[in-house]
Amino acid sequence: MTENLLRAQSKGLLMVMLSLILGFAQAQTQVLTGKILDESGTGLPGVNILVKGSSLGTTTDANGTFNLEVGPSDNILVVSFIGYRTSEVVIGNQTSITVSLAPDAQQLSEVVVVGYGELEKKDLTGSVSSVSAKDLTKVQVSSVDQALQGQIAGVQINTTSGAPGGNVNVLIRGVSSISGGVQPLFVVDGFPISNVGIGNPLNTLNPNDIESVDVLKDASATAIYGSRGSNGVIIITTKRGKSGAPKIELNSYVGFQEVSKKIDLMNAQEYAQFVIDGRNAGYLDNFPAGNINDNNATRPGVNYDVSDKYRNAASLTTTDWQDAIFRRAAISNHQLSITGGTDAVRYAISGGYFNQDGIIINSGLERYNFSANVDAKVSNKVTVGFSLLPSYTSQQDVPTSGHTGELGMINSALSMDPSIPVYNEDGSYGNSIPPTDGNVAIQNPVKIANELKINASQFRMLANAYVDYAILPELKLRTTFGTDLNYFKDSRWNPSTLASSAVVGPATASANTWENVNWLSETTLSYKKQLGADHRIDFVGGFTAQKETSQRINVSANNFADDLIENINGGIVNAGYQNTDINTLMSVLGRVNYAFKDRYLVTATVRSDGSSRFGKNNRWGTFPSASIGWRVSQEGFMSDVAVVQDVKIRASYGTTGNNAIGNYRSVSFLGSNNYVIGNAVTPGLAPVTFANDNLTWEFQSQLNVGLDFSVANGRVNFTGDIYDKRNKDMLFNVQTPSATGFTNALVNLGEVQNKGLELAVGTRNFVGKFQWSTNVNVTFNKNEVLAMSSDAERIFAATGGRGNTNITQVGDPIGVFFGRRAVGVFQSDAEAIEYGAQPLARAGDIKWADTDNNGIINDNDREVIGSPHPDFYFGFNNTFSYKGFTLDIVTNGMVGMDVYSAVFAINNSGVHNNAKFVDEARWRSPEQPGTNDVGGVFGRAIRGGRNANTTFSSAYIFDASYWRIRNVSLGYSFPSTMLSKFKIQQARLYIAVNNLYTFTKYFGYDPEVGNAGGNQQVLGVDWGTYPMNRTSTIGLNITL
Amino acid sequence: MKTKLYILFTLSVLMGMSGCEDFLNQVPVTARSAENFYRTAGDFQNAVMGTYAIFKNPGLYSNGTATASLLWLGEGASDNWDYGQTKNTATLPRYEILEFNVSLSNPILSTAWTGHYIGIGRANAIIEKLPAAEISDALKLRYEGEAKFLRAFFYFNLVRTFGKVQLIENSFSDPFAANTIPRSEVSQVYDLIISDLTTAENNLPTAIPAGEAGRASRWAAKALLGKVYLTRTQYDLASQKLAEVIASGLFNVTANSYAEVFSPTTSFVNNKDVILSVQYLSGLVSQGSGLWSSGIPFGAPGTLFGTTGSGDGFMRPTADLESAYEDGDLRKDASMLPSYVATNGNTINERYMVKYRQPGPQAGDSDVDFPILRYADVLLMHAEAVNELGQTSAAEPFLNQVRLRAGLAPMEGLNQGDFRLAVEQERRVELAFEGHRWFDLVRTNRHVEVMSAKGYPVEDFHKLFPVPQRETDLNPVLENDQNEGY
Repeated sequence: MTENLLRAQSKGLLMVMLSLILGFAQAQTQVLTGKILDESGTGLPGVNILVKGSSLGTTTDANGTFNLEVGPSDNILVVSFIGYRTSEVVIGNQTSITVSLAPDAQQLSEVVVVGYGELEKKDLTGSVSSVSAKDLTKVQVSSVDQALQGQIAGVQINTTSGAPGGNVNVLIRGVSSISGGVQPLFVVDGFPISNVGIGNPLNTLNPNDIESVDVLKDASATAIYGSRGSNGVIIITTKRGKSGAPKIELNSYVGFQEVSKKIDLMNAQEYAQFVIDGRNAGYLDNFPAGNINDNNATRPGVNYDVSDKYRNAASLTTTDWQDAIFRRAAISNHQLSITGGTDAVRYAISGGYFNQDGIIINSGLERYNFSANVDAKVSNKVTVGFSLLPSYTSQQDVPTSGHTGELGMINSALSMDPSIPVYNEDGSYGNSIPPTDGNVAIQNPVKIANELKINASQFRMLANAYVDYAILPELKLRTTFGTDLNYFKDSRWNPSTLASSAVVGPATASANTWENVNWLSETTLSYKKQLGADHRIDFVGGFTAQKETSQRINVSANNFADDLIENINGGIVNAGYQNTDINTLMSVLGRVNYAFKDRYLVTATVRSDGSSRFGKNNRWGTFPSASIGWRVSQEGFMSDVAVVQDVKIRASYGTTGNNAIGNYRSVSFLGSNNYVIGNAVTPGLAPVTFANDNLTWEFQSQLNVGLDFSVANGRVNFTGDIYDKRNKDMLFNVQTPSATGFTNALVNLGEVQNKGLELAVGTRNFVGKFQWSTNVNVTFNKNEVLAMSSDAERIFAATGGRGNTNITQVGDPIGVFFGRRAVGVFQSDAEAIEYGAQPLARAGDIKWADTDNNGIINDNDREVIGSPHPDFYFGFNNTFSYKGFTLDIVTNGMVGMDVYSAVFAINNSGVHNNAKFVDEARWRSPEQPGTNDVGGVFGRAIRGGRNANTTFSSAYIFDASYWRIRNVSLGYSFPSTMLSKFKIQQARLYIAVNNLYTFTKYFGYDPEVGNAGGNQQVLGVDWGTYPMNRTSTIGLNITL
Repeated sequence: MKTKLYILFTLSVLMGMSGCEDFLNQVPVTARSAENFYRTAGDFQNAVMGTYAIFKNPGLYSNGTATASLLWLGEGASDNWDYGQTKNTATLPRYEILEFNVSLSNPILSTAWTGHYIGIGRANAIIEKLPAAEISDALKLRYEGEAKFLRAFFYFNLVRTFGKVQLIENSFSDPFAANTIPRSEVSQVYDLIISDLTTAENNLPTAIPAGEAGRASRWAAKALLGKVYLTRTQYDLASQKLAEVIASGLFNVTANSYAEVFSPTTSFVNNKDVILSVQYLSGLVSQGSGLWSSGIPFGAPGTLFGTTGSGDGFMRPTADLESAYEDGDLRKDASMLPSYVATNGNTINERYMVKYRQPGPQAGDSDVDFPILRYADVLLMHAEAVNELGQTSAAEPFLNQVRLRAGLAPMEGLNQGDFRLAVEQERRVELAFEGHRWFDLVRTNRHVEVMSAKGYPVEDFHKLFPVPQRETDLNPVLENDQNEGY
C-alpha cells in the first residue's frame, strides 16, 4: 500500500519534471502538423481544431491536414466536426498527429430546449424540432422566422409581403383558430415576448445572435405554456459565452436585390385596342341601338368614349411603370462578436448593423442591435447572470397594396395607361388626374412613393437576470426577472399635392407612438437525479407572473396652410386618442420526466393559468398533458440489429389554450355617438359591444404519435409524427341578428380540427472527401371546421374590392374562397340567351354555373371555389462539400393552394390593369377565344357590362402551387495553413442568392403574397402586395 | 448568503402572488365600459343623444351622402330621381333599387334593417333602465318620451319598408337569444308605434328652445302619429292628430320662402316649417352633410358649385319630375336645375338637385339640415285625411296654403278623386328629395299604376322590400318567412 502510494507519487513527480524539462526545451512555439481522418480513413476537410482552453485553432484543408503553432503549455487538442463525435487528443511532445473521427450515430446527446428547461433528445417524448445557428444564417433575411421557412416539418411560413421587414405568417400545424391569434408563442431566452412592433416583430433580433430555435408542436411540449400554447411555441435561444480565450467573430455580407419577377404588360398600342374594345362593348351592351362608329358626342357619358388618342395609337410610346417603381437595391449586414470567459465567468458581446433598401423606391429597413450576456458562478452553489438585447430599427414604407383609389402603388403601376410618361415634358409627374380619354383617375406611383412619407422606428430591449441556487447538486432553485421594453412610433405625411383622384387634395398627417412594457417574474425548482441503475427522474415546478402594459397615442392633423412642415405641426390637430391596454397572467406549472432503464419514458405536464383577459366567471384554466416513449432500440432483442442505432416510438395527449383575443373582450364598451343639438356637437354614447362574463380561452386537445429512428451509423435519421388537433370554444366574433341591437358578439363556440402528417428525413449520402447531405421534410395538414354556432352559420370575409370572397363554414377549411363558379365564356349571343340564367349576358361574357338549378344566377349559386391552404408543403435542402467548398441549396414549396388575384379582377373594364396575359387571354370572337396559359376564365373586354363579369367568381382563382429555390450559396473555407500566418482561426467566403427561381403557374408577382397579413379569414388574396426580391450577396465570416 | 437567497426567492414569489385576484382584474382605463352606465341623468342624456345619432347611420339618412338607405328606399324607388353614375359593380346595389331588381344581399336593404335595429336597441335600453334610475321625474318623462318617439320612428320606417318585422322591446344579454325570433304581424308593430307615440306626445315638451334644436317636441310626436294613422287609413284619427299640430300655431308656411326653409342661414327659431330635422354641422367635426356635394352632377368638379371634390350625381332628378312642376312654381328652381355651365363655358344638360345647396364648405361638410317632419307635410297629410273623410272642400285650404307659398293658384272645387291626385302631385313637388315619394305611392296603393305608366317594371309585390339576406342567414325562421315575390 505504502509502496504503491510512493510509486504513484514518484511517477507523478517524474511527470511534472518531465513536462518542465520539455517546457524549457520548447520555450519557443513549435508547429504541429496533423491529419484528421473519417471512419473510412479519408482526410476530412473543414474540421475544427482548437487548443483546449485557448482561442488558438484552425481548420483542416481539403486533404484533411492542418498546421498549428502550439505553445509549450498547450496540451490538448479539441477536434470537432459536425456529424462526428468530438475528440480530445493529448499533444504531448508530438509534432505530427493523426486523428480518426468516429461518426456520431445520431446526435442523441444533443440537448433540446423545452419550456423551463432542457432535455436530452433521447429522453424526449413530445414533438420538438430544432434548428441550429448554422441553418438559420444560410438565408440572408432580416428576421429569424423567414430563415425557418422550409426547415421544419409542421411549420408553415409565408412571407406575405416582400417589403423589408414585412409581414411573415408562421403557422404550426395549421390554422387552429378562426378569430383568435394563430401565430405561435415566441419565447426568447425564456421570456414569452409581446409580438408587436413595426412590421414583423422579430425584426428586432439579429439572426446571427441566435444559437438555436426549438419548435414545440404537440401538447406534451406546449402544455407547459398553458393558455398560450395551442398555436405552438417557438423558443429562441441566443448565443452565450463559453469558457476560453476571447474569440472574435466577424460576419459580414453585402449584396443587392431585384424584383424576383416582372409581369409582362401591354404596350400602348395593345392597350389602346383593349380600351377601344372595352368601351365599344360596354356601349353596345347598354345601348343596343348604338354603333361602334358612333362619335363620343352620341355616346352617353365618358365611360363609353373612345378618344382619338386611342384610335390613332400607332405613334404612342410605351411606359413600363414597373421599371419606374422597382430598383436594384442594396443589402448589407455586419456583425462583430466577442465571446469567452473562465470557468467562473462567461460572457458574450456582439453588435450588428443591418441595412436593406427596398426593391420599390423609397422603402427600406435599417437595424442596429447589440447583445450582451454574462453568467457568473459566484460560489459553488450560486450562479447569477443577465442578458441584454437592445435594438433600434427604422423603416421607410410605401403603400403597395390596395386599390388605386387608396394610392396602392402596385395597382397603379399595373393599371396606368402605358402611353402616359412617368414625367411630362415640363418635369411634372405624368398621371391620369384629372382623368382624360375616359380613363379613371390613377395617381403616378413614382409620385406616391416620393411624396407620401411613411416612417416608423422602434427601440426594443429584452433584458433578463437570474439567480440559480443549487440547494443540492440535483436540486436547483432559480428565479428570473425579465422585461421586454418596446417603444415604437410611426408617422405619415400626405402633402396637398398628392391625392388619388384629384390634382390637389387636403394635406394630412398622423403620428402614433406605442409603449409596450412587459415584465415577467418566474421562480422554478428543478430536480434531476439518476436513482440506481434503472431510474432517472427530472422534475421542474414553478410559479410565474407576467404583466403587459401597452399604450398608444395617436394624433392626426389636417387643414395645413402649406406643405412646408411635413408632420402634424404644420396643420391643425383634428383627431387623436390614447389607448392603454393591460393584461396580466399568473401561473403555476410543473413537469416530470421519468425514464426506466433508458427505455420506457414518461412525461407529465400541467399548467394553471389565470388571465385578466377573460370573463369574471372563467378566469382560471388548467392544462394537463401526458406522453410516453419507448426506445425499442434499447431492448435486448434489438441489440443484434447492427444497422439500427436508435428507434423510439412516442405518443402524447394533452390540452392547451389560446388567449390571443385582445384585452377587455368580455366587457361591453360604450362607443362615442355624438350628435348635433342646438348647432353644437353634443356628446352621445351607446353600448357598442356585447358583455360576456363567461368568455374564456379557446381550448385545444391534441393527440400525437411519433416515430424516430436512426440507422446506418446515423447516416439516415427519420422523424415522423401524426397528429389530431381539436380546438373548441373558439373565440368567435359571430354576426348576430340586428334585432339584438348589435351586429356581432364575441362568444366561445365551434370546433376546428387540424390533422396531419409530418415527415422529416436527414441523410448523409456521401461522407468522406466529397460530402453530400440531404434534409427533406414534408407536412400534410387538413384543416376542417367541425362546428360553429349553427351548421348554417357562415362567416364571410371580404378584401380586394369584390365583396365577400372568403367563407368559413362547417365542413370546409377556414377561409376558403366562396363565389360563383365560372364555367366558361359564352361564344355567341344565342348561346347566352339559350342558357337563360344570365339574361343580360352576351357573347364573350362569363358563364356561371347555376348550382341551384333555378334558372337565375344570384348569390345563392355561390359555392366553394378554392382554398388558400396548401395540401402539403415541404422543404428540400442539400449540402455538398468538397475540399473546403460548400454548396448549400435550400428549397421549399407548397402544393394545392389557390390565390384570388384581386389585381386581375379589377380589369376588363377597359380602364384598369394592363397585364399582357389579360390581352392575350381575352375573348374577342369565337374564332379568337384567347390563349390562356395562366388558368382562370377570361371574358371579353367590356366596361360597365350588364353581365357584371367582374363579380367575384372562380374566374379569378388561380392555382398557386410553387416550388422555390430559396437559397443557393457557395462557400469556401480557407485552409488553415494559409490562415495561421495571419493569426486567423477560420475564414469563410461565400456567395449566395436568395429566391433564385420559383416554379409556379401563378402569373402574379409571387404565389406566397397575401393582402391581409395575419388575418386567417382572408388568406390568399393578391391585392397588389409588395413583391418578393431576389437577393445576391457576397459574405465573409472570420474567426480570430 | 443562503438566508439572503431564500429571502430573494420568497420575495419574488410573493411579488407575483400579491393580490391574486386584483392582479387579474384589469378594467379598461382609456375606454368607457357599459358596466356603470345608465345611472345618472348625464348617462341618460348621453344615451338619448346616442340614439338621435342613429339618424346619421347609413341605414337611415347617413352623413347626407348617397349611402343614405332611407332615401333610396323611400324615394329612390320612385319616379322622382335616378343616379348620375353609370352602373358598375360598385353602383349595382343602387341600380337594383332604381330598376326594381333588388337582390336579397343588397347592402342598402341590410344597412337599413341593421341601422334601425341598432337604434331600437339603444332606445330599448333607455326605456328599460329608466324606471330604476334615480333621476328627476321630469327628466325621466322627457327621456322616455324621446326614446319612445325614436323607437316609433325606427319601427315605422321598418314596417313601411319590410312589412312584418321582429318586434323587440327589450335589450339582450345573450348573443344567441334573437336567432329564432319571428316577424310580428304588421298590426302588432303598429300597435307598439302608436302606443309609443302616444306616450311621446304626452311626455315631450311643447317648446324646444334654440339651444336644444334638433330634439323632438310633442308636435313632432303628433305629426308622426298623424302620419302613422294616415298610413293605417285611420283618417279620422289622422286628421285629429294633425289638426292638433296645426292648432298649436307654432308653425306656418308663410314666414319662410320655400328656399329659406332649406337654407343654412335660416335659424332654428326662424324656421317655421321644420318640425324635426337631422342636424348637420360643418367645420370638419364629423357632423357635416354631404348632400350638396354628392348631389351635384356626377364627375363635375365641385369648384363649379362652390364646393370641393367632384359630384356623385346622387338624386339626379328625372325628366318626369322636372315636368311635374307647374309653370311658375317657385319651388322648382329651389329644388333642381336642368343644366350647368362647365369650365369651358359649355352648357351641360344634366339635371341636378339643389335643395340642400350651400356653396362654401368642403365636400361632405355642409350645414344644411335634412327635414324629417315639416309643417307643409302636416298640411298636406291633413288635407288628404280630411278629403278621405269625404270633406273635400274643407280639405282645400290646407292644400292651398302650401300652393300659395309656391306662387301657384289655389285649387278649388275638385271632386274627391281629383283632390286625391292634386294632393299626390303637391306632395311630390313640395317634398321632393325628402324621402317621401315611394312611401306615399305605396301608402295610397298607387305604386303600380303610377310607376308602370312611366315604364317602370313595378308589380304589386314591390310595395315591400325583401328581408335582407344577412338576417335570413342568421335566423332560419326569417328564411322561411320572406316577403312575397322575393
